[in-house]
Amino acid sequence: MENLDAARLQMAFTLIFHIVFACIGMVMPFFMVVSHYKWLKTKDQLYLTLTKAWQKGVAIFFVTGAVSGTALSFELGLLWPEFMKHAGPIIGMPFSLEGAAFFVEAIALGFYLYGWNKLPEKFHWFTGVIIGLSGVASGILVVAANGWMNSPSGFDYVDGQFLNIDPVKAMLNPAWFTQALHMTLAAFTATGFAVAGIHAYQIFKGRRVALHTKAFKIAITFGAIAAILQPISGDISAKDIADRQPVKLAAMEAHYNTEKGAPLYIGGIVDAETQEVKYKLAIPGMLSFLAFGDFDAEVKGLNDFPEDERPNVPMVHYAFQVMVGIGGILMLAGLLYFVSLKKKKWLTNKKYWLLFIALAPLGFLALEAGWIVTEVGRQPWIIHKIMRTKDAVTPMPGIVVSFYTYIVVYTTLSIAVTWLMIRQIKVLNAQNN
Amino acid sequence: MLYVVLFFLIFSLYLYVVLGGADYGAGIVEMFSSEENQKITKKTIYRVMGPVWEANHIWIIILIVILWIAFPAYYNILVVNLHIPLTIVLLGVTLRGVAFVFRHYDAVIDNSQKLYDAMFKISSLITPIFLGMVFGGLISGQIILTEDVENLSFYDVFIKPWFNVFSILVGLFFAALCAFLSSVLLIGESVRGKENIYIRKAGIATIVVFITGLITFIYGYISEYSFVTVFVTDPYAIVAMFISGLLLIPLWITIKKGRRVLSRFFAGLQVFLILLAAFVAHFPNIIITKTNEVSLLDNIAPDSVINVLGISLIIGGAVILPGLFHLLKSFKMIKILERHNNPSQ
Repeated sequence: MENLDAARLQMAFTLIFHIVFACIGMVMPFFMVVSHYKWLKTKDQLYLTLTKAWQKGVAIFFVTGAVSGTALSFELGLLWPEFMKHAGPIIGMPFSLEGAAFFVEAIALGFYLYGWNKLPEKFHWFTGVIIGLSGVASGILVVAANGWMNSPSGFDYVDGQFLNIDPVKAMLNPAWFTQALHMTLAAFTATGFAVAGIHAYQIFKGRRVALHTKAFKIAITFGAIAAILQPISGDISAKDIADRQPVKLAAMEAHYNTEKGAPLYIGGIVDAETQEVKYKLAIPGMLSFLAFGDFDAEVKGLNDFPEDERPNVPMVHYAFQVMVGIGGILMLAGLLYFVSLKKKKWLTNKKYWLLFIALAPLGFLALEAGWIVTEVGRQPWIIHKIMRTKDAVTPMPGIVVSFYTYIVVYTTLSIAVTWLMIRQIKVLNAQNN
Repeated sequence: MLYVVLFFLIFSLYLYVVLGGADYGAGIVEMFSSEENQKITKKTIYRVMGPVWEANHIWIIILIVILWIAFPAYYNILVVNLHIPLTIVLLGVTLRGVAFVFRHYDAVIDNSQKLYDAMFKISSLITPIFLGMVFGGLISGQIILTEDVENLSFYDVFIKPWFNVFSILVGLFFAALCAFLSSVLLIGESVRGKENIYIRKAGIATIVVFITGLITFIYGYISEYSFVTVFVTDPYAIVAMFISGLLLIPLWITIKKGRRVLSRFFAGLQVFLILLAAFVAHFPNIIITKTNEVSLLDNIAPDSVINVLGISLIIGGAVILPGLFHLLKSFKMIKILERHNNPSQ
């Protein structure tokens, strides 16, 4: 395996894991504090049990997210030293603020986990809120740094030199808001549906139904609201990409030739050789409308860009289809949940619970697919139009060894965390109160 | 603003060495305890470290972020030439953190605890050794700066800088230092009547720190490592080291008298003086390569970056430090309340 490929795969692999851990660690505190709030209000013992159960989940995911994040902060330099040498000072600001937010989160977590019956009730609850807020802030800041790779700004690039650096402008690059909004909603959707699905399974099996129904409702409410809002954010993102990275948009849609009134392809199999998309569903003019708000607008095709500046089209296209498809399904499921609040009979129907069990992994699948769209879609650039990924990779040969090591460690870690969660639920179900 | 940034850089390094070091050391102390004492130590570590250990390890992130923002050229040498030990450190940090949480948050207590314990102890020892080897690698004078990696042997460029006697000695010295810091901390935190376990450990650790430190110096001096030869001719460095050694006397008096806060203060001061000695002898030439010494202040980021970073650090520090102080203070309160309770409740 080439060093570059090994480095890219290692980065992709570690990010894929980190994203799952980090999103759960970022969103679950919100479920926890809602349940905690209900316990304080109603003094219903079940809410206390639930809060404490979720708190253990938060602790485990916070740590896995934190250690995999620590590893990533080093990997950026270990794998891409040339990138960090130039980009480090420019995008350092979101990272240093992220460090601060992360610190606040760790402090708040220390208070929360160890503060039961010791801290004043309201203050203790509030430290839980801080965990959630600082987690979201961390996520937004890291995504802002990624946004800079897509829309580099805050410097002048003269003769291969980065001059007149403005770190604040770099942080508030044109992509930060659309990406951060999309990612935050995605995190809530994915975690909401995943957690709800796990509790739906327990209800389906008839274990402690009262407790798990409370858990399901809290998680799905977050997931459903986020899923319903997500298409709006998706639309903002699409228009933004059409403007900033037309080649990425073209790859997402496997749109080879520039045309006016471009059709939107749904599904289909991409043949990169003949530049055709087979078995697709085409909606005339729709791509032009979605990208520019005008059915007749011209959308640039891949052939307008030099061959060595195009990403891997099939991969980006398929990932995009997966993301949008699942996004649509989850939005409908979100609406269905709100309807079910009026139709109490559904809650006794096993099919209702089966549906939410089936949806559990989909949010994370869409979230990973979305990352593939944005990251693979950015290639061959590590800094859009400034630095190529192949020029940033470490000169040290043999990265393939560390790649396989990470695969083994992270896979084991994921199995262990899953196993631990199953044990948590078993113990929870075995309790009597 | 450069001074603000430098202050936070050194401040984070110091806090990571002291807080993170005590944290690693806890695992080392547990490893070298009898089976019965391991159980006691495990509980004590959970009570003492539980609320704060994550915060302890964020200092290294702050450290690395400051390095890459403000001193990109320096950071570049670190990540390229010391890639391998840093990766091992990362794996160690990962496994250690995970093992710590698993062993305290697993809902079922069974044989898997043994695995978590083993993972925790081994990674607690390996990680600081390799971290020390990274420090050693930076100053061992073995780093080769080259654009021409292909024509040099992999061993010379990527392994020898950290895998040599001197760097390994620094690694062992650092691990011993961690164990020393941790034992001093644990004395004051132990269950009543069990203080002697940690007093004995602190005694052993002090001797190991002294011996590994001495061997490192003698070896470095005989082999004419410029880090050591410059160090021993710098009067300020010598004085700082001498005071650090002298502080052992008040340290042991306070330990014997059970003055736990004061004894920690002395131990922390000793580490501070050791770092100070290294800094006064060498600052700003912190990387010593085969051919020259690389100044930290060479190729620093532009003023605009340094200014923004400095302001961010001041604001971040103003938010974090009071919170951290409060947390450290609170867990003392928590400790007293939990002293006779099962900590996992």
